Amino acid sequence: MMRNILALLFNDLAIALKNKTIYLILFIPFFVFISLKFTDQANVSVGQIKIGLVQGNTYAPKIISSVKAAEKSIVVTWIKNETEGRRLIKEKKIDGVLLKNKNDPDSLTLLVLKRESFHTLAIVENFSALQKAAEGISANWIADIETLYPGDIQKQTLPTWILMIVLLIGFIILPAQVAEEKEKNLLLALLQTPIREGQWLIAKVITGMVLTFIAVLFLHLLGNFGVENLFDYVVLIAVGGFCFSAYGIFLGFLCRSQASARTLGVVFYLPHLLPSALSDYSQQLTVVAPFMPSYQFYEPLKTILLEDGRTANMPFELVYLFLVGSFTFYLSYILMKRRWLMR
Amino acid sequence: MQIEIRNLTKLYDQKRGLLPTSFEVKKGELIAVVGHNGAGKSTLLKMLANWILPDSGQAMIDGIDLRKRTAFVKKVGFVPEVPNLFDFFTVEYNLKLFAVLFQTPFLRVDEVLREFNLLPFRKNKIQMLSKGLKQRVNIGRALLADPPVLLFDEPTSGLDFEMTKELYRLLNTIHAAGKTILFTSHRPEEIKSLATRILVLHEGGLVFDGSPQQYFQSEIHENLYAL
Repeated sequence: MMRNILALLFNDLAIALKNKTIYLILFIPFFVFISLKFTDQANVSVGQIKIGLVQGNTYAPKIISSVKAAEKSIVVTWIKNETEGRRLIKEKKIDGVLLKNKNDPDSLTLLVLKRESFHTLAIVENFSALQKAAEGISANWIADIETLYPGDIQKQTLPTWILMIVLLIGFIILPAQVAEEKEKNLLLALLQTPIREGQWLIAKVITGMVLTFIAVLFLHLLGNFGVENLFDYVVLIAVGGFCFSAYGIFLGFLCRSQASARTLGVVFYLPHLLPSALSDYSQQLTVVAPFMPSYQFYEPLKTILLEDGRTANMPFELVYLFLVGSFTFYLSYILMKRRWLMR
Repeated sequence: MQIEIRNLTKLYDQKRGLLPTSFEVKKGELIAVVGHNGAGKSTLLKMLANWILPDSGQAMIDGIDLRKRTAFVKKVGFVPEVPNLFDFFTVEYNLKLFAVLFQTPFLRVDEVLREFNLLPFRKNKIQMLSKGLKQRVNIGRALLADPPVLLFDEPTSGLDFEMTKELYRLLNTIHAAGKTILFTSHRPEEIKSLATRILVLHEGGLVFDGSPQQYFQSEIHENLYAL
């Protein structure tokens, strides 16, 4: 039995090497790593703030004098109007524009590219400090910020990238490989040997898990990301890899050709990836996302990577992933036995 | 009897396929299965190859039931119309992979390469081979485990004259080695020169079972393409 599984496993990995799949799963972590290198980091120094003031606007004298006094941290650019300000912001020549507030003439509106950015935060912090200095207030109500997820943005987004890779292997690569074997009658050729259907399925699931581990390991090596609880992390990746590999193989059995498997893969990939990955930013998605197996993988992943959590504290998620994997494995077995969509 | 088929049936959407069909085959026979497209020839062979599961009926080779797949596949080798090999890999890799799965020693791979004149191509990738050569590799693979029965689905389809002659020679060699062979065909000259017995299928039913002499003298042959 083991001999057959190993022979099929090595054959699957050799196929992954020959049809360049292996390069794809190495390229994606590499691309992620390069992108992260250019991502703003929490501890990055924003340096000088480049702020635009509109020439026709009448700003309060204490604002102008405070800004001029802080010339080391704030660079002022005088602009003709708001339209020019919008253009300069988009061109990243200035970080924001101070406009008169339409509802309250004594206060200002800050026009920026994005509300949730380090630059916006830096502008608000700087102007808040200037205001307090001008008004003679010395102490902040909030003296410091502590985050639930420590580390820079590279590490904070790591669970999302891992989820993306695991789902990509499960929903895009494996269904196409299974459908290709069906389309070219290679699976039927293998079934003309004394191997059992279960052996072929086990080899395919292990192939998915091996590809998952390679991609995850490569991403960690590139980014030099350490893991506190390595054993728990390996267990979670193994269970997640099993779940989504079995799921992907099942999707492959629902298709007659590679082309349809790719389409079906994308149809399943995005609804699994987006609600889970975006659940951190949306309360509504946090309500919906737990129904997806991907969320039950993503949440423990965040806990282990960002909070040094242990798998012992997440039995529900592990059992859930294992059951989804086992159920889809069983469905694939039934379809294989019935020669589903095979000629 | 080496092959016993009783009421073997497969229907697609209650229309095409194979109606309940029964026949027996003695060891060493070389049988041509003849009929129009959609007559059920390929369905019959694919059921015996475990590619298609029958709706009902029974098929046995040397007393082993079709449904006991892992034992049955050791008794039968199938060569489909379109070669189904791992294109990315070499001839040798393909044969060795299946040798491992059949638990056949690699020595047998060398024998097959020699028997089928594939030694010069052993390191060639399948995707670089002609259809005739691919078909030869496919036949070699089907013979790796030395099964007593071989099934060929339209073996000369898409082959040129030289390759077709080469395939006839191979079929005769394999037959002379004592194998039982069933093949589907549309070509009267192929049937005449190779077969020791002919089965004619029409609209899923077996309408003729006899020798080539009986077949070519019968109205079935004359009317086959007028049926």
